[in-house]
Amino acid sequence: MTAPQISPPAACATAPSAVAVEASCRLPVLFFAFSSATWLLFGAVLALLSSIQVYQPAFMEGCPWVTYGRLRPAAVNSLVYGFALQASFGLALWLIARLGRVELTSPLGLFIAGKFWNLAVTVGVIGILAGDATGFDLLEFPLYAALPLFASYACIGAWALITLKARTERTLYVSLWFVLASLLWFPWILSSAQGLLLGWRVPGVVQAIVAGWFGNNLLQVVLIGMALAVMFYFVPKVVGRPLHSQSLAQNGFWLLLLIGGWTGLSQLSAVPAWIPAVSGAANVLLVVPVIVLIYNLYRTADGEIAEAWKRSGVFRFVTVAAFLLLLVTLRNAVFGIGSGARYTQFTYFAGARTDIMVLGVFGLSALGALHYIVPRLTVAQDELPSDGLVDLAFWASIVGLISLAIGYSLAGLTQGAVGATADRNFLGEAVTGVAGHLKLVTFGYGAIGVGALAFLVNFALALRRCCVACCGGVR
Amino acid sequence: MNHGPLIAAGAFVSLAFSWAALVMAPQVQLGSLAPASIPNTSDVHPANRPGLAAQGAEVYRSLGCYQCHTRQVRQDALLYGVRLVDRGSNASTINLELPDSGRTNLVNFNLLIALAKSRADLGITPVAVPAVLAADTNVAPVLKEFATELKLLKQFDDKAQVVRSTSKTVNELAAALPVEVLERTGPDEAERAVKLLNDAGGKAELVIYNLGPDIERGWGARRSVARDFVNDSPVLLGSLRAGPDLACLGSRAPEKFAAAWKFASTNLASEMEQRLLIHLYNPRLVAPASTCPSAKYLFATKQPDQRFAGESLQVPGSDKPVYPRHDARALVAYLLDQRLDVGLPEAPVTKPSGPAKIAAAPAKP
Ligand code: HEC
Repeated sequence: MTAPQISPPAACATAPSAVAVEASCRLPVLFFAFSSATWLLFGAVLALLSSIQVYQPAFMEGCPWVTYGRLRPAAVNSLVYGFALQASFGLALWLIARLGRVELTSPLGLFIAGKFWNLAVTVGVIGILAGDATGFDLLEFPLYAALPLFASYACIGAWALITLKARTERTLYVSLWFVLASLLWFPWILSSAQGLLLGWRVPGVVQAIVAGWFGNNLLQVVLIGMALAVMFYFVPKVVGRPLHSQSLAQNGFWLLLLIGGWTGLSQLSAVPAWIPAVSGAANVLLVVPVIVLIYNLYRTADGEIAEAWKRSGVFRFVTVAAFLLLLVTLRNAVFGIGSGARYTQFTYFAGARTDIMVLGVFGLSALGALHYIVPRLTVAQDELPSDGLVDLAFWASIVGLISLAIGYSLAGLTQGAVGATADRNFLGEAVTGVAGHLKLVTFGYGAIGVGALAFLVNFALALRRCCVACCGGVR
Repeated sequence: MNHGPLIAAGAFVSLAFSWAALVMAPQVQLGSLAPASIPNTSDVHPANRPGLAAQGAEVYRSLGCYQCHTRQVRQDALLYGVRLVDRGSNASTINLELPDSGRTNLVNFNLLIALAKSRADLGITPVAVPAVLAADTNVAPVLKEFATELKLLKQFDDKAQVVRSTSKTVNELAAALPVEVLERTGPDEAERAVKLLNDAGGKAELVIYNLGPDIERGWGARRSVARDFVNDSPVLLGSLRAGPDLACLGSRAPEKFAAAWKFASTNLASEMEQRLLIHLYNPRLVAPASTCPSAKYLFATKQPDQRFAGESLQVPGSDKPVYPRHDARALVAYLLDQRLDVGLPEAPVTKPSGPAKIAAAPAKP
């Protein structure tokens, strides 16, 4: 298997031209890119506001719509459904069209389905703020938002798969394995979890187990899968070399799918002990596929890393994302089983896994990829109009993530230490004592918001330039 | 790997494995879990929530209290102990005081042997019996049997290489009641001791030690288990402890709150309810450093028209009363309904020997 750009041109006589492929992507992909970045900004702002409330309880007090218990899930669900999944759709469509050398089926339909998706997410977020959250982590949208969400996904996913089926480049590159797995995995877990929770209403703690299983699969397979698709596309592309090893990629891919669905249930305590134990073992095992996959990328880029880092914006994003993936996987392996899990259970440390995965591993990959895709689809150039804003988006996101990860981790470890000894003062040490660390978290969300804003402004500049070019000037 | 359908099939199988293990298996194991009946009562645990508390669960979900509060008490170890509450009296019990002295000093010789068998570390001393008594025809056979048992015990000890203390003896142990015969041991050893002591005519009971920081902190008498949640839907376990665990708030002792307090009157239930209402109204009034958000919007400043919400609440630091709305009362009823002081087969607790119990008395409807 070779890297995408080396596959022979016009492998098939009917292959559409690159221009035609891009033209078909323009409307839906740019739409998904723009609205996902908007949700990223919005979600980061909500997360920032709610993070202030945990040390300044009087902040925005007195109105149930913005109390912490509603604002925080609204933020997380905006980030996951508004930003992460929506960005995934854009990336998936673009990768399928690009790697499959095929025009998107029904760009207009995709655009309309995307509109409905956004509408459903908006309704869901308002529903949470109004007090209709279901109470299940990452599944908080009430049924009246979850059903339209599923329906619009059904259209998006179906059109994506139809496009994939119609591809003219028959070779399926590694990235497309991940895209395909993510596209299928998401409706399977969503329908299964919603069916059991909101439809059948499984009894008692089984609900919490099902919700945990869903949330973990969403993060560990769907979003991490999309992040890996991006990494496997851009790393060989930027360094201009074929992928180091096809068989390593294959092993890594299957192991990730096999193990990924089992991890991440160590937050459950009032359940039979085998559940967190099995899940903890999976947390450890998952290190294998992640190392295999990242080693493969590393070998592909080895020797060119410094040069590619300087030259390419997307490479920087993707490299940091890959590094974060390794880090968060090791972190889960150490703190996802046994006494490590017990120590960090119920703390910000464990909770930060969602933030690091959504905003870090996935978020950085996606932002990087969008910085590559958007200028090509708008101004037909390699870079967005403002270099300064590209740098700002990168550094703000990185600084934001580091602050977030450090802030949450330190706060969590402090909480863990207090929780492990009964004679330490809970209120003084585990609540007011972590305010300093949580201020770092607030700063982190702010920086991530700035990064998203920088990207959006750059995006808008590109769109404007595009309009000027097409319509001969707006004035 | 160039066939989409093949990858799709592989993905489906991978997901099916994790689904079978982490969704179906728990459902099979826990799906038919039902409340357990509490021994010697007609009650079950968890009991069906009274209507007001059930409405409170919805308020708890709607306001997202589970974002900061878990309802899962953890424990590190479950150990057992034996408490002797009565020495009993049977054929081997002898009054060591002379019949005409008017005093009694009953010694249950079988129990002494049983104690020695339960506690291999303690010594056992022969009991000094006044000569007059030793000659009694009722007493002599008992003493003889005791001597034989002591000899057997000695032989057994020698074989098992047990070295008994010479300073501490079971005789002293049996002197004060109630007494912890065994502390923090395994279930088998404890059950054997209970049986030995009861067979010897004494009255012994099993003591259960639920250990761990959560329990020491007073957050619950035992760990939370799946059965505690069979009546909940949605199940709000929580995953972050930005605030204390609430799994057992309904029977929490005042000094075990994050901001410790004391009962001022004897009407414990109503005082607890007042306290929680004030906490809801503004947590900073009871815990100045609290970051628990205030739910002032659940209170009216003017007396509402509805008759049921008429009772007022006096808030510290303010001379104007506020009126808890229905949702506030429901939420408090729900919080008071949170309890773990009832033992379950899979999570036992020592039978309550009289710690102050606060009945969960929901507010008047
Ligand atoms: C921002 C996180 C947060 C949210 C959201 C939150 N709490 Fe709290 N809660 C705390 C903290 C911190 C404490 C400890 C300080 C105190 O006693 O007020 C606490 C304490 C409590 C206590 C006293 C428990 C004890 O052991 O002292 C109760 C009762 C309580 N909260 C109920 C609620 C209810 C009901 C809600 C939902 C309306 C809620 N909390 C939402 C953070 C939170």
